[in-house]
This record gives sequence, structure tokens and C-alpha cells, in this order.
Amino acid sequence: MWKEIGNREMGKIRPNSFSSQVKSNRISNLQLSNNKDIVSPHRGSINSLQVDLTEGRYLLSGASDASAAVYDIQRPTNYEGNGLIAKHKCLFSVDKQHEKGHKYAISSAIWYPVDTGLFVTGSYDHYVKVWDTNTTQVVMNFKMPGKVYRTAMSPLATSHMLIAAGTEDVQVRLCDIASGAFAHTLSGHRDGVMTVEWSTSSEWVLITGGCDGAIRFWDIRRAGCFLVLDQSQSQLGRRPPILARSAANKVNVSKSLSAGQNSLGKPRAPQKKVANGHGMKQSTIGRMPTKGSARQRLHPGMLSIQDRATAHYGAVTGLKVTDDGMYLLSAGSDSRIKLWDLESGYNTLVNYEMVRLQTSKAIQLAISQDSAQVFVPCMTVVKAFDIWSGKMSLTFLGHYESVNCCWFGSQDQELYTGGNDRQILVWSPCQPITDDMDAGHSKDQDNWSD
Amino acid sequence: MEVEMQERGKVGTLIEKATNSTAAEVDPRLLKAIKSVVRSSDSELRLAAHTLMDLMKRDHSQVRYLTLLIIDELFMRSKLFRTLLVENLDQLLALSVGFRRNMPLPAPPAIASTLRSKAIEFLEKWNASFGIHYRQLRLGFDYLKNTLRFQFPNLQETAARIERERRERERRTREILQNKFETLKANFSSVKEEIRATVDEIGQCLDIVRTKEECMPPILLDDEDFVEFRSAELRQIRLDSLKEGEKVHENNDNKVVFDALRELYKLLVTKHLVSVQERISLLIRVEVADSRSRDSMLKELIDIRNSLMSVKKDCEESGCALPKTAKNNEEEEEDFWEEGNFGSTENEITTKPGKLKVVESSNAEEKSKSIEDRNSKKSNKRSENLAKVPASNKVKAKDKDCGNLSSKGKETLDSENSVRGELLAEAPVLNWGSFLDNWGSVSNRDTLANQKGLELDNHWGRVDYDAVIPAEKIAELNLQATIYQEKLGEIQPCRAPLSKGALCQRRDLKVCPFHGPIIPRDDAGNPINQNSSSDDTDPELGSDLAEQLAKQAVKNVREQDKEEARKRKLAKQSLQREKLAKVREHNEAVLRDAAMASTSRSAAFGEDMGETVGERSVGRRNKQTLASMLRKKVTTKDRLAQRLLNTRATDATIRQMTQGEDATYKEAFPNQW
Repeated sequence: MWKEIGNREMGKIRPNSFSSQVKSNRISNLQLSNNKDIVSPHRGSINSLQVDLTEGRYLLSGASDASAAVYDIQRPTNYEGNGLIAKHKCLFSVDKQHEKGHKYAISSAIWYPVDTGLFVTGSYDHYVKVWDTNTTQVVMNFKMPGKVYRTAMSPLATSHMLIAAGTEDVQVRLCDIASGAFAHTLSGHRDGVMTVEWSTSSEWVLITGGCDGAIRFWDIRRAGCFLVLDQSQSQLGRRPPILARSAANKVNVSKSLSAGQNSLGKPRAPQKKVANGHGMKQSTIGRMPTKGSARQRLHPGMLSIQDRATAHYGAVTGLKVTDDGMYLLSAGSDSRIKLWDLESGYNTLVNYEMVRLQTSKAIQLAISQDSAQVFVPCMTVVKAFDIWSGKMSLTFLGHYESVNCCWFGSQDQELYTGGNDRQILVWSPCQPITDDMDAGHSKDQDNWSD
Repeated sequence: MEVEMQERGKVGTLIEKATNSTAAEVDPRLLKAIKSVVRSSDSELRLAAHTLMDLMKRDHSQVRYLTLLIIDELFMRSKLFRTLLVENLDQLLALSVGFRRNMPLPAPPAIASTLRSKAIEFLEKWNASFGIHYRQLRLGFDYLKNTLRFQFPNLQETAARIERERRERERRTREILQNKFETLKANFSSVKEEIRATVDEIGQCLDIVRTKEECMPPILLDDEDFVEFRSAELRQIRLDSLKEGEKVHENNDNKVVFDALRELYKLLVTKHLVSVQERISLLIRVEVADSRSRDSMLKELIDIRNSLMSVKKDCEESGCALPKTAKNNEEEEEDFWEEGNFGSTENEITTKPGKLKVVESSNAEEKSKSIEDRNSKKSNKRSENLAKVPASNKVKAKDKDCGNLSSKGKETLDSENSVRGELLAEAPVLNWGSFLDNWGSVSNRDTLANQKGLELDNHWGRVDYDAVIPAEKIAELNLQATIYQEKLGEIQPCRAPLSKGALCQRRDLKVCPFHGPIIPRDDAGNPINQNSSSDDTDPELGSDLAEQLAKQAVKNVREQDKEEARKRKLAKQSLQREKLAKVREHNEAVLRDAAMASTSRSAAFGEDMGETVGERSVGRRNKQTLASMLRKKVTTKDRLAQRLLNTRATDATIRQMTQGEDATYKEAFPNQW
């Protein structure tokens, strides 16, 4: 550690890589935090966790007892055990007692990406509600055609304020906070939509995963979906070298070289995607391996054979886009996790040492900020996998029942997990042992009597 | 083996040995050895933790239980062990508590339950002492307690709570006592004053009464003349009556005084005495700073109590009416009887000193009347309540004393008594049953089923309010059902003569399988006939016996006659048997069988006799019955018949018995036939 600091001072290591080194070091030391307790007021399983994106300070949880709560994860409300254990009680919670609260389980609770003044909850009582954080009042109400499984707001959006809601219904609806009405109805899935996720590279691209096993990409400016991921389309050879991919820029000559037949526009794809969805769509469709007729039909109403492609056998239960927007991780009820290259739309065939995944509920995956690790709730444990190799690196044992959701707080490298046992656990890098722990109050030491 | 032991290390083998036992505890020597080994090095400790977790997975609750005990020992001592174990706490809990439904605790269920309770107890203990350092412990404890709602013994808290409650209670009682003491101290003088006032008033009342009393005895003394009472007995009676008379009795003159006295007495007994007692006990129990004032108060109170007691005694002595009225004012019945007693004593007095009679006669008449009324009432009541019998007996005795007054009442009583006694002697003793509800009343009315006060409206659909239970059904329901109780007694032996000369000692209830129905027999094994016709055969038998004696005297002179008589008798018997068989309404086959059986039997009997006598003559044979001849000709057939007889006899008896049972059954359950 000290040596690295020295190197950093000497200029041998760039600050960027130094910080990422420290961070990854911390991540590899994650363990159940003894001195940070989140006191869950929920009486049902925790279905959703999110730390706000602006300050990284407020944790929002939604639980199946129709309650949602907000915690300050930076400043504890009180201490226990002579200051050893910091208790984080909820700042406020809304539940059934609230006059406009949800009636049934909250399946999804998310912050408004711009500030912490609003948050959005989606519930099994068919409603999506927008709450004012400060007054804890419902400011907007969207009636959905069925149970709401997941809601999402784009973290990038500057030109729209849309809540994407995946429900029991086959259609994905976009609720406009600005107008209080449905902006879009996206049809294409053949079954309920378990999970929705906005692209992290384009504010207009929405990714949805349905119970029919399909992952669909939508450009919200145009009708119909422009891409359906197909698990049989794979690109084993094109998996980028791990180190180069994770550490450095994504533009990689060797990759495009190895791309072979469909090398058109590959290197410039990222720029295009960031710039506008239209370009991406073009490139994506152009890369489709289907023959002539598909090429002519440029319209989203794609070829039926493509339209029926599936990403998983069974339902898609979780989606997570990497921070750079280049890759997509999906979890399915077939207990598989797949890594998709979004440029090509191909399955990269990374084998994650498996695990059994919860099949009945949507699960919430988390990715560490440099896209090195993915945290996956696997029944009662949470496992951390190396994204590029699929190797399991850590197991988080602590919950007594199935884990539903996890969130990685990138600021202080903490992992928050919530499960059916109603607990929200904090996993933090192990503290350097402080010997000043006063010997007076506690003696966690050997106590041999004989 | 050696290698394995090396691999597992010393601690592994020790632990294996320690858990491989059926005892309820770990061998303390082994435990000590494990501890010392584990203490020596961290690697051993790690190994121990690993081995212990492996052992927890064994499919045997006993092994798990012992392992858990060792785990607890180490857990409470070693920090490293704690950190190692806590990482897999959920697994440990699943294996020891068995909260996962797919992982129930293994085989011996008794030990499994102790394992579970122990594990819960340990978890609580661990959480209490180390929970602060291990989030996992807190989590596990919280999960089991708040999510799965396991009942934790809560040892510390329970003990603390009990202690706290006890202290609280003590404090509260002390406070209450203190308060009471304060109030007492505040108004002690007034209380004393009040009591003194009451006592004074009682004293005054008594004074008044006594002054009246003083003017009474002279009258008595004037009228008496000792001549009449010569015998000591009479004198004694007189003295008693005088003593009675000396007591002040309530009359029209002093009624007011008595009333006041009664009031005051009541006040004294029910209020002052009780309160003084309470205060004394309060003063004894209370803890105060200045014990001197308390002691002085206590002393005073005891004095007051003593004075009160003496006053009370005075009251009771002075007026005999007082204590009774005070004591029994709520019980009318007793009250009355005391009054009656009063009256009777008055009467007693009136018979002798004439003076008092004049004074009291008007009262006495009234009272006697009321006594009569009460007596009749009492007797009615008595017929209901047997428990009061001694009381009313006493009444009767009293009534006899003053015979002329309550003779009428006595009569009614006696008559009641006799009728009832007769009925009681006659009445059968029965077990309780619903049939007793309308005993003796022939209820042949239909009963409405749904009018019993239960609100059945709309409960399971519509209710028919006119639903009727027919009378015969009710009769059927009210049928008395009893359990047949077998009469136990000594089972008599068969005592039929055997060929060896002895008697059959077989004991059967009704029928011997070899000799037929069991009948009374004499010492030689001859049947004593008990049939309906036996009375006319009996004298004959008696004469026969006499003859036999005579014959024995003259040595076989009239043997022939005797034989003939015997034959006659036997023939008669067989006839009777046949008759009986007819009466039994057997069908023809059975009749024939029975006839055959009876003849062969009698023949066999005759043979037996002949053998014993030791004579066999042709003339006798001529006179024998058809059956006996048949028997003579075909001996095998006879044997068969003998056999048949046995089976037939049993058959017949069985049939008879079942028929009897049927008949009784028909009687008992007429509604089912």
C-alpha cells in the first residue's frame, strides 16, 4: 500500500490506475460489516435496493409488505455497544398506513436520477407511484394493466423524464413524469416483462427482459424493437482480452481484426452509440447474420425468426448494463448468467460458475464500478464473479433466506443486499484493525480457563 | 490408520472419541484434553473447527449434540474459533436447530429436541456475550427470534425480570404499609376516642339492663316454695331454670335498650375489633424510623383490644340473644330455630313457675303457632334434602320435649318419614342416566326439535322450526342402558363320578364337557335332583336311603328291590327329561336326540351302579328299558352315543343359553323387535 502511494507520488502509477487498484483491493476484501447495521423496518422481503445516484448517501428500499424506506448510509442515527455498532435507522418509511400508499408488495423502488427529491415505486397493486421525498406524499400515480415487476429511469436522460415499467402485461409502458401520462406503449414481448433497464450509453435505448425469455432493445424514438438477443448467436472468438478490455479503452484494433466477416463499423460503434441511437441501430442491423431479406427489411418489424429469438430458456429475471454501456449481463430462470456484447448482440459465452438462481422473482444484479465484478444473488448467498472470466471470487454468506437484490455503492465500495429474511446487510471492506478498541467494555479475546 | 490419525491430527481423534458416546455429556477428561490441545496451536484449532463442522453434518442427533457441546466450550473461549465458526453460522444453526425445512434434524427424536433447545440456548448465550463483535451472531439470533419466532429461554432477562418484579412488589408493599402507618399515626387519637365512646355506651346499656334485672329475681323468689322440689334431681332442674331466669330477657320494657345494645355490639365486633386487629398487624409489619412511637402505639392497641374483648364477653354474658343475632343475622333459618329454642325454654319455665307464664304466655302462643308452620315447612324441605336429617331429628327431639305444642308437626313429620322410608327401601339403586330425567312419567308426546333456545337461524341454511322428534324415538333415546356385570362367585366343580371312583374336579360355569350340565350332587357323585318335580321324588329318595341302610344291615337281602326302585326312579327321570325337552320347543330332531341321550345316559348310570354293587342278573336285564337293551347289544354304538351325548349336551345348553339371552335382549330392547 505504502509502496504504491510512493509510486503514485513518483509518477510511476497514474492516479487513475492507483485509485482503481485501491478500489479493487477493497472490493476483494468485502465482508459482512459488523459496525454498520441497517435497521430494516420492513416486515416482508426486501425486493429492491438503490442508493441515490447524486450523493451516494441515501439508500432506498422497497419491500413486499408494501413499504418503502430511506436510510442515510453515511451518518448513523445512533450507536450501540459503546459506539462499536453504528445503527442506521430509516429516515422515513411509507407503508400501507400511508393514505395513498401501496396496497400490495412493492417490487421496485428507484430514485429519480437527477436528485433525491423524488422516488418512484412500482407495486403488485398495479400502480406506479412517484413520491416527493421531502413531504412523503404521492405526487403522481400511474395505473398499470397488471402487477408491476420493475421500473427504471434512465441515468443519462437529459431530454426526457420517462419511467419504464415492466408489468405482467406484455406491453412495456413508459410513464412521463412531466405530463403524468403514458408516453409510449412498447409491444413485442409475448409474456410479462420481468425486468427493464435503460442503456448506460444512450438515453433513448431501453432494454427489457420478459418471461418469454427474450431480451429486447427499444429505441424510444421509433416504433418497435430493433434488437432481440439470441442465445444461439455467439461470438466466442470475439471476446476481448480481459485486461485490455477492463482496464483500457474499448477501442481495440485486435478485436476488430478478429471480428472477421462482420467487421463493418465495429471500431466506431461506441462513438456512434453514444452519439445517437440511429447509428447504432443501423450498425446493429447491418451486422445481423441473417440473409438478404432481413437486410432489406430495415424496419423494426423484423423478420419473425429474429423476433422469436430467446436469450434464456425461461424468464429473464435480471438485467444489468455495464457502466460503459458496452456489455449486458442477464440472468435467467434457467439459472444462467450471460454476458452479451451489445455491439454485436452476440452471446459471449462466458461461463459463470454456477449456482442456482431464484426463479420466481426478478433479481437485481450489481456491478462494481470498473466493471470487474458482478454480484449475483444466488438463493441465500450473494456471489461475486469476475465478469470477463466468469470465475467466482467471493461468496457472501449472511442471509438466512433467499436474496432478492443487491446494490453496489461505488463511493465507499460497499455492497448492500436485501433478502426474504427482511434484512438489509452491509458488506464493507474489512477495517484495518484498530487496537484502540477500548478494553473496558468488551473483551473479544481468548478466554481460556484451563 | 496411523496415517489417517496423523492427518486428522491429535485433536481430530480426540473429538471423534469424545463424540462417539451415548452419554448426555462429553467426557470431561476428553474435553479437557481437547481444550489443552487446541490451545496449544492455531492450526489445531482450525482443524478442530473443521472437524467439528464435519461432525455436525453426521446423520445422528447424538453425535451432533455432543459436537455442539464441544463447540460451545471452545466458542466461549477462543476468539479464533469464534471467527471461524461464525462464518458458517447459518449452516451450524441449520444443523443444530433444524430450521430449514429440507434439513430436519436426524434420527433419535428425543435427542434431536434436546439438541434443538440446547442450540437455541447456546445461541442466546453467544449472542449475549459476543453478539456485539459478530454481526452474524446478531443476525442469526434475530432471524430465529423475530422471523421464525423461536422461543428463546431468555435466561438472563427472565431472571432479571423476576428479580425486578420481586423488588418492585416489596417496595410497593412497604410503601403501602408506610402510608397506612402515617394515616394511623395521624388519626390515632380519634380512633381511640371512637372506640372508647362505643365501649362507654355499651357499658351504660349494660348498666341499665342490670338495674332492671335486679328487680326481677325478687318476684321469682317470692313465688317459689321449696317444698315442691324434694328430690335432688328436681332441685337441679330448678336451679338450672333459675339460672336461666336470671339472665335478662328481652321484653317490651327493655326492648329499646336491647336494640341499642345489639347495635353497639355489632359495631364493636364487626368494626372496631377487626380494625384494631388490622392495625396491630400493620404495626408489626411496618418498618419505620422511630420504633418508639410505634411500640407505644402497639402497646396501646393491644390494651384496647383486650378491653374490647372483655366488653364483648360482658355483652355475651349479659344477653344471650345478642351474640346469636349478631352472628347469624343473615341466616333466617338458623335464626328461627334459635328463637324456637328460646320459646321452648320459656315453656319449660312456664310449667314450673306460674308467674312467668302469665307474663310470657301471649308470646308463647304466637311462637308455638309459628313453630308448627315452620315444622311442616321444614319437613317438606327435609324430604328434598337428606343432609339436613340430623338437624330435623334434633328438632323432633325438641318437639317431643314440648309435646303438647308441636304434636301436630311431629305427626306430619312421622308420617312423611314412614312413607318415604318405605319408598326408599323399595327404590332400586341406579346409575345416573338421561332416562332418569322423566322417571316414571310416560312421555308419549312428540317433541319439537328446534325450539330448545338455540338460535339456529341461517346458520347452515334454513331451519325447520316445526321439526319433531317422534315419541317412540324419544322413548328409544331415553332407554336405560346398563353394562352387564357378571356375578363373580366360586365356580363349583362338576363332581360327576369317574370310572376311577373319584369325582370330576373340573370347574365349569354351566356345563361340563364330559358330564353335561353341572347339577348339585351328593358326596358319592349322585345328582340331587332339583327339578320342579323333585319335591315328590325327594321323600322317595329319602326312603330309598333308609332302605339302603336297612339293607346294609341285613347284608344284601333286598338288593333286588332296591335295584328296582332305582330303575323306577331313573325311568321317571328320563321321562321328565323328555318332557323338559318338549317344553323347550326343540324341533323333532333335537327331541329325538335328546331322548336318545337321556336313555343312554340313564343306562350308563345304571351300569355304573351295577358295577359298584357287583351284581349282574338276567332278570334285571329283562326289566331294563329299550334304550338299555340297545346299549347292551351294541356297545360301540353306546360309546358313540355317549360321545354324542356330550356334544349334544353342550349344543343343547348353548342353544338354551342363547335363547335365554335372546329373550332378555328382547325384553331389554322392545323397540328393536
